[in-house]
Amino acid sequence: MSARNAAPGTSTHESFLRHGNFRWAKTAGGIALFALVGYLFFRVPPRPYGGTWFGYTLGSIGAGLIVWLTLLGIRKRRINPGNWSLKAWTSAHVYLGLALVVVATLHSGFHFGLNVHTLAYALTLLVVLSGVFGVAVYATLPKALAASREELTQPQMIDALRAIDRQLDEAAQPLSHDDAEWVVVSLAEQPLKDGLRARLAGAPRRSPTRVALAMLGERDRDGPRQRVAALLARRLTQLERIRHQQRLRALLEVWLYIHVPATVALLAALSAHVISEFYYW
Amino acid sequence: MAFRLSQIDFTADGRRIERAREVAANELTIGRDSACDIHLADLAVEPRHVGLREVGGKLEITALGTLGFTLDGASRSEALVDPASGGELRLGAARIGIGRADDGTVLLRIEASSGASAPTDPLEDKRGFSLASVLPGRRLAGWVMALAILLGFLAFPVVSHLTRAPQGHVMGDKSWNPGPLSRGHHQLAGRCESCHVRPFEAVKNETCSGCHKQIHDHAAPARLASARADAGPGEAALWGIAHLFGKQGPGACVDCHVEHKGGTGSPAESQALCADCHVGLKNRLPDTKLGDAGDFGTLHPELLVSVVTNADSGAHARLPASQHPREDNGLSFSHKVHLDARGGVARMAMELGSGAGYGKPLGCANCHHQADDGVRFTKLDMAKDCEACHSLAYDRVGTTVRKLRHGDVAQMFADLSVAGPRHPVVTGRQRPGAYADGQPYAAHFATPMPSPGAAALGKNGICGECHTATIRNGHPAVRPVFEPKRYYQNGWFDHSAHKDSKCEDCHAARTSNSAADVLIPPLANCRQCHLGETAPASSNKVPSTCAMCHVYHESALPPPGRKAARPKA
Amino acid sequence: MADRYRIAIVGSGPAGLSAAARAAALGISHVLLEKTDHLSDTIFKYQKGKHVMATPATLVLRSDLSFAAGKREAILGTWDSESAGAKVHVQYHAEVAKIEGTKGDFTLHLRKGEPIRAEAVILAIGTQGNPNLMRCAGADQPHVQYQLDDPGEYIDEHITVVGTGDAGIENALGLAADPKQGNVVTVLNRGVDFAKAKPANVKLLNEAASNGRITIRTETTPAEVRGNELLLDTRDGQETIRCDRIIARMGSAAPRAFVESCGIEFTSPDREAFPILSPAFETTTPGIHVIGALAGYPLIKHCMNQGYDVVEFLNGNTSLKPADEPVLADKFAPLPGRRSVDEWLELFGSRVEIFRELSSLQLRELMLDCDVRSYAAGDAVFNRNEPGSSLFCIAEGSVKVEVNPTDPSITVPIGQGSIFGEVGLISGRRRGATVRAAEPAIVVELSRNAALKLITSVPAAGRAVTRISIERQLLQIFGSGLTPADIAELVAGAEVQDVRAGKVLLQEGDTGTDLFIIRRGSMIVEKELGGRPVFLSYVPAGFYVGEMAAIDGSPRSATVKAAIRSEVIRVPGDAFVRLLDAKPQLRQKAMADMEKRREINSFIESRKENFGSAVDLYSETAQFLIDNGLGEATDVLLIDEGLCVGCDNCERACADAHEGLSRLNREAGKSYAHLHVPTSCRHCEHPHCMADCPPNAIRRGQDGEVVISDACIGCGNCQRNCPYGVIRMDSVPPPKPSLVSWLLFGQGPGPGEPSKYWRKKNDTGADQPKKAIKCDMCSGIDGGPSCVRACPTGAAIRVAPEAFLSVARLGGQK
Repeated sequence: MSARNAAPGTSTHESFLRHGNFRWAKTAGGIALFALVGYLFFRVPPRPYGGTWFGYTLGSIGAGLIVWLTLLGIRKRRINPGNWSLKAWTSAHVYLGLALVVVATLHSGFHFGLNVHTLAYALTLLVVLSGVFGVAVYATLPKALAASREELTQPQMIDALRAIDRQLDEAAQPLSHDDAEWVVVSLAEQPLKDGLRARLAGAPRRSPTRVALAMLGERDRDGPRQRVAALLARRLTQLERIRHQQRLRALLEVWLYIHVPATVALLAALSAHVISEFYYW
Repeated sequence: MAFRLSQIDFTADGRRIERAREVAANELTIGRDSACDIHLADLAVEPRHVGLREVGGKLEITALGTLGFTLDGASRSEALVDPASGGELRLGAARIGIGRADDGTVLLRIEASSGASAPTDPLEDKRGFSLASVLPGRRLAGWVMALAILLGFLAFPVVSHLTRAPQGHVMGDKSWNPGPLSRGHHQLAGRCESCHVRPFEAVKNETCSGCHKQIHDHAAPARLASARADAGPGEAALWGIAHLFGKQGPGACVDCHVEHKGGTGSPAESQALCADCHVGLKNRLPDTKLGDAGDFGTLHPELLVSVVTNADSGAHARLPASQHPREDNGLSFSHKVHLDARGGVARMAMELGSGAGYGKPLGCANCHHQADDGVRFTKLDMAKDCEACHSLAYDRVGTTVRKLRHGDVAQMFADLSVAGPRHPVVTGRQRPGAYADGQPYAAHFATPMPSPGAAALGKNGICGECHTATIRNGHPAVRPVFEPKRYYQNGWFDHSAHKDSKCEDCHAARTSNSAADVLIPPLANCRQCHLGETAPASSNKVPSTCAMCHVYHESALPPPGRKAARPKA
Repeated sequence: MADRYRIAIVGSGPAGLSAAARAAALGISHVLLEKTDHLSDTIFKYQKGKHVMATPATLVLRSDLSFAAGKREAILGTWDSESAGAKVHVQYHAEVAKIEGTKGDFTLHLRKGEPIRAEAVILAIGTQGNPNLMRCAGADQPHVQYQLDDPGEYIDEHITVVGTGDAGIENALGLAADPKQGNVVTVLNRGVDFAKAKPANVKLLNEAASNGRITIRTETTPAEVRGNELLLDTRDGQETIRCDRIIARMGSAAPRAFVESCGIEFTSPDREAFPILSPAFETTTPGIHVIGALAGYPLIKHCMNQGYDVVEFLNGNTSLKPADEPVLADKFAPLPGRRSVDEWLELFGSRVEIFRELSSLQLRELMLDCDVRSYAAGDAVFNRNEPGSSLFCIAEGSVKVEVNPTDPSITVPIGQGSIFGEVGLISGRRRGATVRAAEPAIVVELSRNAALKLITSVPAAGRAVTRISIERQLLQIFGSGLTPADIAELVAGAEVQDVRAGKVLLQEGDTGTDLFIIRRGSMIVEKELGGRPVFLSYVPAGFYVGEMAAIDGSPRSATVKAAIRSEVIRVPGDAFVRLLDAKPQLRQKAMADMEKRREINSFIESRKENFGSAVDLYSETAQFLIDNGLGEATDVLLIDEGLCVGCDNCERACADAHEGLSRLNREAGKSYAHLHVPTSCRHCEHPHCMADCPPNAIRRGQDGEVVISDACIGCGNCQRNCPYGVIRMDSVPPPKPSLVSWLLFGQGPGPGEPSKYWRKKNDTGADQPKKAIKCDMCSGIDGGPSCVRACPTGAAIRVAPEAFLSVARLGGQK
């Protein structure tokens, strides 16, 4: 027991935001500061723009940042080979991404217009904003996500639903055709088939299953209907759990559907910006 | 009469199970109710759905409930099928093949294909939770947008640029325009190729001078280069790169005339632009005649007035305004006398009365008339500005008053020679004979007199008042008169900008007895109101950039915003 | 028939077949007697398409028949064709009932047909023996069968399975697996429980019974078999059930009786014993040879080699070396003093204490799993804190143990013939000290499994190891300057105790001075504070508890209980006290340790005032982690649910790091206080998965990780044995297109484990056997576990319990 060496550092979780004691936050802050000071210091007549030597410097920094930030997409999918942690990359990605806004804005020198250059800038802002949303949900939702699972895995949830459905199918056999119709309607309700809006909205006010339950529920106390009603009630709760999980997953993912395509578009716009800039030099 | 039913089923690993049984009856019921002969556990099927009955070798199918059934794809409520030819009956998810066994009994193959027990893949279920299962892929969206941008904003302009006719127009490059063109160039908007001639080549001076033909260099490029203050490290580095790509400059047109920033397209009138070179110019360019200048308030050489130093030879010289320069303009004139409110001149003016445009003691404006542009003054005109007092009349015939012609000495002699008192030398009766007028003995006896022309040129003669007599190529004449339009050679002074201040504020005319006095004020005088660009608001002085008086390009053009034309030197 | 064969071979399994083939090749007159109508019945009875493995890989195959891993059908096919080609003379339906005669003239009486005469007999009948038949009336009817080839071929039948061994249970499960088949399966059990079967199988069976797929009838025996009915004797009277088919798996009579009837003697009366054999496989009855499983060599390669060898011996080839000769030769080649293999074996056997009682054959086999190395003086055999669970024996020279981590000059010598490294062997912990050769030495390293096999099979060796280990453990713990003489008394008084999980070893407040050294497993120390137990610390093997009382006679200051099933050495307190009196510096050391614990206690007490809730949370969390197997873990994956966004990048990274199969299920597993222990290997100190691995494919790797080698035969034992369900059986999916082509054009399934659908669609058709896969801590991948490195938010970490379950965390949390 004498040799017990407890190292708290090694065992405590450290989120990507506070990674390495905010190493990347500081780096990003430094870059932004440099850009700002430089912008105010290197005054060039008639007014600052991307063509001054400092403008070009900012431009190159910005372009470099954009390309590097994009590489995260590959990085996170190719963990090996190489000894590095994705957490560090994410941390850097977030903070440098924020710094990019400053750099890009100052590079523009606040000259905006209906042209490919401003398009690139706008896309940059779009990407960063969506990213900020992402960071926000990443920071707030996880606990709820875990709590809503109640230690069930997603496949298990689906299996549970299937099990209930099978039992419903059985239990409803003796029902009259009209009653059976309600069960069929309810069985047709499959949360996995929900669209984007439905998922973001979460459990709907009046789902077919709820209606079916209402239709079959309050009637005769005993008999097969009662059993079906009970099953429908179970199905309802299961549906709600699944939908809650889906909703959280949707929130955690939806921003990527702006972030990623916009990034690709940004890469295109960026190259168009740079090439056109020097094509018509 | 019997039916042979064979229930077909499949195990999880796809093995086919066939369960056959005989039903000895000539009627069959099919339905969800377990009491039916063929029991289909399918909620889409009615408890008692259809009945089968064999009539005369054929199979009669009738719907027992409200729902019909599907026979060979057609929805029916009753049908007659020949088992020999066969058919397929569909109830909900179940398929019932109708046929006849070898031994003649009706054979029903029941395939209750219930999708429920399809093998599931947890990975797929998991995927079902993520949006990937409902949204179009990010890859697709990315590709579409990226390609659209690359085609529309890059490929299209480039191709159109490369494939255009010699003078052709490039299409789709509007999106490349980073900002509005300067006013002067606005007509070039949408014709980028007129300046951006070749791809990846910075706009060249040659291109500019293609249109701007009479723009002169500020100085010889070599001198400019050596005069230019050396750039900072960043600047130098950038130039290094820029030169690699064949960019001209520093000092190329585009270096000062930054386009796509709207406005005039001329560099803002910041004195820094000049100061860069003209502060410490002497060090970098020892042989220059120019004094260092950086800020009108603090660093600017004394103003030089260019004056005629000898009216006869017309020799010029540029003299510092502060050192009471004197000129020889060929006139003799005293501003003092003319402007003296109590002198005879004043009286004379009053007698002339306002009808003649006088009536008050003389002011500058009586003689010096501002040009229409108000920048400078029109040439003095003897007839308009002097003759009201200094009359040139010498004779009267009836009501006609005869005047000398100003500026023509020979004419003056001629005129005066025929003039003179016209009283007859011989009076009384006419002599007869040869003594009569026009006869050989007739004669005039008048007293001899000096030539009136000479008298006019004389010290007190009518000409001599203002001019000095002289002899030019043997003929009497007056010394040539110079009335300079501009005293400044490089600077531009604008009277219109100084309307509010009185003439005396700058020109000490009232005290000037001699026409030789140059009444151009020295630099100090200007600085009473004007300081450099950086003049603090507190000292209510006018912040004055270099461009207020100077123009960069040696050319016939006045500084930006001035209209008056400058005489060819 | 008068003519007499030179050799009669009984049993056409791999051994017999190989022997016959050899005989045929040598042109010796022979007959191969097979009781069924096909060759190699045991393998023939494998389920269809079973993938047969060729282990051990190190062993060279020496036979006229070829054999390589592959599908059952393929292997049988080759053997059939090759034996036919080799003109092997087979006689089917020839079940030998009795063997008479002596060397040179044996008579083999068959159940039916002429007796056969031969000069020599080779028994290669394996251990399968004959299935025990049902005794009851009507048991001879055709629908009573003793094996089940394909459970899928029966539908809508009422099937009764008699017998409660693994075979029976597995058949029953197979028959009831698919409800679509509509079979009604009943299992008859003479007793009340299923003692003979693997626990895992019993679990499955009970599950099946509880959801009604199978009926289990205990204390029931078949009384009479009628047409499609079965009369049963139950505890309360007779009963008839419908029964269309009976699967009788009541084990098989080991062929021992028959073998002994031939006058052959066995090493010992117990069931696992083998016949006494000469190096030439000759039994105590001259002229009769025993090879294959019956001789104690269950692996196919062994059998085939022996078949070859025995015929060679019979053919008078005495100089023949065993097939493993070259393997051993290679092993021994680097050793100094060029001796022959036999000389080396002789040397080891005579010198090494724990090898003394081994026969040369056993030693040979043992050596196959051993490493023999020579060290120059000063070379390190292993270093402190290296992972390692192997046992070392000194065959020549001696070694010295650096007992003091700070001062390597302090060493304890270990002499020739003795062993070391046993602590690692027993506790599964990292090495406690560095061991160097004191002089040029030759050391035999036994892999953990080899050592354990040795300890169990040779009692004397086991005793020796235990004694030495206790002594060493005491020396290692009390360390500085003690000699075996000093602690002789403790060793004498010490006893090894087994403590099952959760059992309290020391009760807070109790009197008692005994000292406990944790030999394997781990303990948790709790203290009663405000009526609630507060988790103090976690004590892994190799440390000791209870010394405070021994030193100052005070009552127990805290409660110590086993986190998992553990083994402790109880040392009498008085003896310990005497030792302390004798050794002042030891007393100081003990005092120092004691101080540390007092500090922790007071630390906790103080914290208790400040933020009791935190302490509660902490100790509850600790308890939760212990419950989830951290107690026996060496490294475990922990996910902070406050950070996990459920992106499953960890699983994808895992899959991509291991040929496309994830060893990790992020969601599965328990959570407490936002701490989630996903289903992923904990790399136990004593991995349950290692317990029963036929090819011995599960080992500890360089960094202490537990890995499954390619030798895996896919039997699934480890999967059943793992209490944490972290092992899965699966086959390697087809290769995926490159990541870039997916990123750009969406080719392939993308990162992570491909879906079943994609795998089926892109199946390469190559025979991909299912193998056991589990976390290997990404061994061989620099940067360590991919799952942790692939976590974008820092939710996933891997920790060792010592690091995590320490009070210091409290400071960390605050």
